[in-house]
Amino acid sequence: MVDQLPNLGREKEMLQEMGFDSIDALFADVPVGVRMNEDLPLPEAQSEEELLADAKRLLGSNVALGDKVSFLGAGLYRNFVPSCVFQLITRGEFLTSYTPYQPEVSQGMLQAMWEFQSLISELISMPVTNLSLYDGSTAAAEAITCAVRVHNRKAEQKNTVYISELTPPDRCSVIYNYCQGAGIEIKKLKHHENGLIDLDDVANAAGSCAVYVEQPNPLGIIDGGYPALKEIIGEHTALIVAIQPISLGLVEAPGNYGADIVVGEGQPLGSPITAGGPIYGIFGCTKDYLRLMPGRIVGRSIDVDGKEAYCLTLSTREQHIRRHRATSNICTNETLIALMGAMHMSLLGPEGLEELAIRNMAACTYAKQKLSSIEGLSIVHQHQSHFNEFAIEVPDTGKNCLTFLEDKGIIGGFDLSWWYPDQSNRLLLTFTDQTSGQDIEQLATELQSWVNEVVA
Amino acid sequence: MSHLFDHNGAPGKGYAQPKPLLDGSELSLPDNLVRKSLPRWPRLSEPEMVRHYTWLSKRNYGIDTGFYPLGSCTMKHNPRVNEVIAQLPGIADIHPHQPEHQIQGLLSIYYEMQEMLSVCAGMDAVTLQPVAGAQGEFTAVRCFQEYFRHRGEHQRTKVIVPDSAHGTNPASAAMAGFEIIEIPSKVDGRIDLDALRAVVGEDTAAMMITNPNTLGLFEHDIAEASELVHGVGGLMYYDGANFNAILGRTSPGLMGFDAVHYNLHKTFSQPHGGGGPGSGPIGVKQHLAPFLPTPIVSRREAIESEQEQAVDEFWYTWHEPEHTIGKVQQWHGNAGAIIRCWAYYRRYGKELRTMSEHAVLNANYLRHAIHREAKSAGVDHMFVDGAETVVAKHEVTLSLAPAKESLGISAMDVAKGLLDMGYMAPTVYFPLVVPECMMIEPTETESKDTLDTFAEDFAKVLQVDAETLHNAPITTPVRRVDEVYAARNLCLHHPFDE
Repeated sequence: MVDQLPNLGREKEMLQEMGFDSIDALFADVPVGVRMNEDLPLPEAQSEEELLADAKRLLGSNVALGDKVSFLGAGLYRNFVPSCVFQLITRGEFLTSYTPYQPEVSQGMLQAMWEFQSLISELISMPVTNLSLYDGSTAAAEAITCAVRVHNRKAEQKNTVYISELTPPDRCSVIYNYCQGAGIEIKKLKHHENGLIDLDDVANAAGSCAVYVEQPNPLGIIDGGYPALKEIIGEHTALIVAIQPISLGLVEAPGNYGADIVVGEGQPLGSPITAGGPIYGIFGCTKDYLRLMPGRIVGRSIDVDGKEAYCLTLSTREQHIRRHRATSNICTNETLIALMGAMHMSLLGPEGLEELAIRNMAACTYAKQKLSSIEGLSIVHQHQSHFNEFAIEVPDTGKNCLTFLEDKGIIGGFDLSWWYPDQSNRLLLTFTDQTSGQDIEQLATELQSWVNEVVA
Repeated sequence: MSHLFDHNGAPGKGYAQPKPLLDGSELSLPDNLVRKSLPRWPRLSEPEMVRHYTWLSKRNYGIDTGFYPLGSCTMKHNPRVNEVIAQLPGIADIHPHQPEHQIQGLLSIYYEMQEMLSVCAGMDAVTLQPVAGAQGEFTAVRCFQEYFRHRGEHQRTKVIVPDSAHGTNPASAAMAGFEIIEIPSKVDGRIDLDALRAVVGEDTAAMMITNPNTLGLFEHDIAEASELVHGVGGLMYYDGANFNAILGRTSPGLMGFDAVHYNLHKTFSQPHGGGGPGSGPIGVKQHLAPFLPTPIVSRREAIESEQEQAVDEFWYTWHEPEHTIGKVQQWHGNAGAIIRCWAYYRRYGKELRTMSEHAVLNANYLRHAIHREAKSAGVDHMFVDGAETVVAKHEVTLSLAPAKESLGISAMDVAKGLLDMGYMAPTVYFPLVVPECMMIEPTETESKDTLDTFAEDFAKVLQVDAETLHNAPITTPVRRVDEVYAARNLCLHHPFDE
């Protein structure tokens, strides 16, 4: 029995007042030939109690990361989000509002998003940010198409962009889908054996529309070569840097070493992983890209009395006005998740962010120390700085290693052969503020016994 | 006023964190990448932070606050059990790269949603990956593109869009690289078959259209339109923005469509949170299924060794479609939104049809009540229906052109007057084919009493003199916001002392 409809039982009364004799009369305009004549072949409606029981049974059967000791990250990170974020986000005034088309009754969300822009601008050191894109991958893709719009006219290498060869294939696929319509060619930038970007190869990208790199890179490396990038590629090629936002409590903001556009997966600030969505994509840029950037932007303004007020601005870039000439098709974004990010950031404060970054990097560094003493196993880029994660090479397939660890109650990390098919004996291990010293010691112990088993 | 950046208390008072596993001095970064100065973020304690955001929330209007008749946005109630379910660790604390045997419950829900959405729309296959309606549109036209490339039909470069379509339709098709052919609608916003006939040809890739249309009218010529487009070898795309009107009564499949996107956040309720998140799965007929994004969920009977981890007699696996376009979002779509919509769907089951019937009942009743109240208040000369029709579907349009001509009262004035009455205003100035348009969508959520009261209040607003309405709203946290000032004096972040 359905229970969400206030007019159940009042249909007749309402129909009669309109002069109709049945609900069918309201659908008389649907031609006979396209009518659905049978009931939907779906099960009976459930009560809230029955639904909850099913939800708990089905979702309860999943292995949550917190049920085990987990070292799985590879782009999404399990961080602590303070309780009050989850409590405040359920305020119906935030939760159940739509896009703020009527600013007079949407000042709360508009101001919160203007503050979000301010927090992100400071974090990445960029004067302009939007209210979020769908995720890190679409933010990367939109940054690339935006850069081409801005630079293509003057580019020597027309319709061409260069991205790091380490960029995970899933992200590359999103980038390709967004770029192919504009005829953009995507070329790869080489990395040295030691994991760092090959600055000589980057020279080939000069005169193209954009260079896209990630900091930390997909293998967790903080690459000290990036501050040289902008000078190599020149003023007319956009430098796009993707970031892990928590790392910026320790690592220099890309806006301070030449980036033109900064993107990233916002999830570590404010949001659980939630099987990969909803999360939020960060997008910030210099003023040169403002008029051709994607997504919604809030501006501070005044009302007719001269009182401080907020509203959406620069909307003429957007699809509802510019239609097929819009800078992007994006309409719905991830505002609510961005709001969770803003709440988390406002509780952290600058020193809290630094502390959180230290905790994440410390867990990773501590793990590096512990694991480097395991004979028969190597840390692939031992001498680089790592944030959150690093790759290890094991004496058998990574897959077998993960199976062994799972039997010991450990979700052992990410099998790098999913990204790089020739790396079947490498794993990417992730450590966050939720990783304890005991977790790492347990991992080291189990890895040691697996290596012993395999080598013997 | 409460300003986040005015809070500048002692460092680190927001929340205390456990000690790091190593001291900061033991960590090493490349010298040139050590952050020189921390972001100039404010410093708030938890009590201050909670009060700030609670204050902000009180300056915002949601469905929980009151009637939200924003046409085309389908602002329906969000059952709270959905929020409880979405916070369970079996979804919130799941990583998309976990192996299949650890997430059978989640995969079974994905499968159930794929099946349910297929059945409701008369499609053969569904992907849940697109995270918004616009991304669903983009995904579908990308599939069309690969389908034609696969068939060697490279000349199909044009996508036909009626001028009354949502802006996302032409924007999405253009992003995929198609040329847009816009065709005029008839005065009632319906499709003009002659205009369509004049533009279809062997260069036609697809037509994108929503039904009911943006005026809330059913396109009775839809089967003919499908025939015209299919007749030249093109594909038909159904924009599911208005799907809430027809569930269980007809389907895009029956109307001849090849593909459809679902706005899960509209039809099945995912709280829209000030502009997102949403979820925009697409359904396609068999000939397009091999091109869908990867992965989708398939199932087979579970074998004995799997039975301990299986949630029913099946084993659920990720499956890569043969000629997949790849990915449009890096992970598996907005899983949290999909779970909420699954919960919403389960509360209706086969009675989803009743949900749509009530949405249509409410829209028609509201139109009737507005005319009734306006007549009794003597203000019925101030507006006309956006289109003449016996019945509407999920939404209705009114034209305030008579009020504008005779009294200088615009649709925007009336919208702002409604804000003063404590409502969210309907959508205004869309669709463009209706002058001084006001687009009203009550959804199935609203009671008859709410609709009656709104109709009375609407008539009251029309009785207010022009000057007062030009000055409305006056009861809201701020009065009319100067959007021109915002664009000319760009202030996009806290200015500090710059």
